[in-house]
Amino acid sequence: MASEEKPQTPTTSVRVLEQVPEQRLKLKLLAGADGLDNKINSPRIQRLGLAFSGYVDYLDDGMVQLVGQTESNYLTTLGRAARQAAIERVFTCNLSCLVITGNLRPPKALLGNCDRFNVPIFQTDVPSSVVIREIPAFLEEQLAPTTTVHGVLMEVFGLGVLLLGPSGIGKSECGLDLILRGHRLVSDDLVVIRKFGADRVLGSGPTDFQFHMELRGLGIIDIKELFGVSVVSPKKILDLAIDLVRWDSGKEYDRLGLEERSYSLLEVPVPLITMPVASGRNLATLVEVAVRIQMLKSQGYSPSSDFFRRLETRLKASSDDVWRV
Amino acid sequence: MIRTTLRIKSELGLHARAAAKLVKIASRFESDIKLLRLNGDIQVDAKSILGILLLAASKGTELELVIDGKDEEAATEALVELVEDRFGEEQ
Repeated sequence: MASEEKPQTPTTSVRVLEQVPEQRLKLKLLAGADGLDNKINSPRIQRLGLAFSGYVDYLDDGMVQLVGQTESNYLTTLGRAARQAAIERVFTCNLSCLVITGNLRPPKALLGNCDRFNVPIFQTDVPSSVVIREIPAFLEEQLAPTTTVHGVLMEVFGLGVLLLGPSGIGKSECGLDLILRGHRLVSDDLVVIRKFGADRVLGSGPTDFQFHMELRGLGIIDIKELFGVSVVSPKKILDLAIDLVRWDSGKEYDRLGLEERSYSLLEVPVPLITMPVASGRNLATLVEVAVRIQMLKSQGYSPSSDFFRRLETRLKASSDDVWRV
Repeated sequence: MIRTTLRIKSELGLHARAAAKLVKIASRFESDIKLLRLNGDIQVDAKSILGILLLAASKGTELELVIDGKDEEAATEALVELVEDRFGEEQ
């Protein structure tokens, strides 16, 4: 099985804040546009309050700096010269960007310095508490370790199922079969994996090319165009990985369904099933059944162990009676 | 065709892991391999795990092993040894 690629280092640029969805936070860039490529390497947010009052030691150049209502009010209490000095002191440090809340025009000195030192400044109408909640949450997603894996990610009965296996084994064809049965495509061929919280991984596809699929003999097809919006899903938490392998009569496969194995993605274990592929085996059907089993297992019930429990009882009965009807 | 009578000696009977082992070994041979219980009233394919499990052969159960094919001798030898060895699990 293909091993996962090395995770990229978690760094992003200020520019990413322009992608915060509007329903979460409306950010308007006021000045400092030349600094949009400044780096952000922590999801945390710092308030500039203490820095304006003179204590700048702990300003972190990889964090978003917040100018809230408190900071704005504090600056207005200062005389013009003191305000100028307070602002300039902050800009002696390297800053990634500022976010200012409230819809009043920020002090001229602040905007001027932002342009001068290439520190982007964004304004938003919402209170600081909302910024403190939304920006770290958004950056957490952006800064999460990511990797890519070769496979097909589907949503089957609501569960995220990653189909793995060598090129040409029929991952895409299996995906197509599943789409025709009403399941959804998340990504074909290249699946982008992102850590989601501590113990889950989220899969999606490359932006702009996400819902395309390559089928030998037909070329590259646009699934969303062909089948409609209801058969695609932009991202999905992974619940199950199915490794498709060529049937090898010399090899032995799990016959009892009691083996518990997992596939590690960004150090998160995802339940794994190895599925031998041979003619006469309908992969989409097998995947659907595997997902149903996984659903039962996640609710604490294992279909095969129930069978073996009953078998045990029967073995203990040790009589031929069980066979007499 | 070789017919052999076997008796299950292992404490747990022909349980899941034992059955998996039996199927694993049986599958290595080309011959047609069957296990019979109750004088042949119940007949299962030794290469099918479900069949073997459904035999529900507990300790002391007598089974008949019927092997037919090119490698029947080697298959008989291997399977008899496995059963005699209590599926390699007990002392």
